[in-house]
Amino acid sequence: MELTIPILGVSVWFIAKIFALFALLIYIIFSVVIVRQVNLMTETLEVGFESPLKVIALFHLILAILVFIFALIIL
Amino acid sequence: MPDIFVADRKIEDKTKVEKRPQVKKPRVDKLKESSIHSLPGHSHNPLAAFCYYPDHARFATQDKEEQVVLLLRKHPITNLRWIIIAAVLIMAPLLLTTFPIINFLPERFQIVALISWYLLVAAFIFEEFLGWFFNVYIVTDERIVDVDFVNLVYREITDANIDQIQDVTAQMGGVVRTIFKYGDVVIQTAAEVPRIEFEAVPDPDRVSRILRDLRIEEEQEKLEGRVR
Repeated sequence: MELTIPILGVSVWFIAKIFALFALLIYIIFSVVIVRQVNLMTETLEVGFESPLKVIALFHLILAILVFIFALIIL
Repeated sequence: MPDIFVADRKIEDKTKVEKRPQVKKPRVDKLKESSIHSLPGHSHNPLAAFCYYPDHARFATQDKEEQVVLLLRKHPITNLRWIIIAAVLIMAPLLLTTFPIINFLPERFQIVALISWYLLVAAFIFEEFLGWFFNVYIVTDERIVDVDFVNLVYREITDANIDQIQDVTAQMGGVVRTIFKYGDVVIQTAAEVPRIEFEAVPDPDRVSRILRDLRIEEEQEKLEGRVR
């Protein structure tokens, strides 16, 4: 179903795509903050469980980037 | 010719002995490695909520010779609330089969929405876990430390010397707390922060007993004039 905004002459889904990509971009920034946060936390307290946490935070960031790229392609 | 007056050397020596030497305070490594491992409450699990003499614990403001005696977190059962929420959030997309509220979206948007949803849930779980894991209470042979991560990038480390502790209260009440044996330890101090609270920690009675022992040890050290 192709809906268009009469004044702008663009598809509603195109606008939705822009919003979705913007939201995912914000999410990537949030993921970077999480990585920084984990670094700050592991600097504050070391109990021998730092590496798995850093890996999870990094994995989450990579996943966020991949989802952004995926959305960029399929939307 | 014999000396008329000879100073009594023995007396001099006595006065030397009477001067209290500044003995370097021995670390608690009097406890041998093997005996530490057999202590009740000692754990090798980095996720333990109660760890007596933890093996690898270090924190940001720790002194070189300071030894961590006790590392505490909130009791694992306190995580149950967010675990249930996470389980509900994970199951939530299944409701879409019964209530197809996003069916008006094209399929490609639905896929992205679903993936984004699970990404958000993953972040929620990770954040909650980090909050539990890193908000710790530390008791060293010199002081008590409360490490708080208030939000994503803000941390607060409160500490008070053991000899500044004035009063320790162990509180345990309520059904859940009694069943799982956890509660609060409220510590009144003479430091800048008058009250430090160890919230929902396992075995609060034992924590207060350990604190009392450390206070006695500290007082004894003061009397003996031992310094670090």
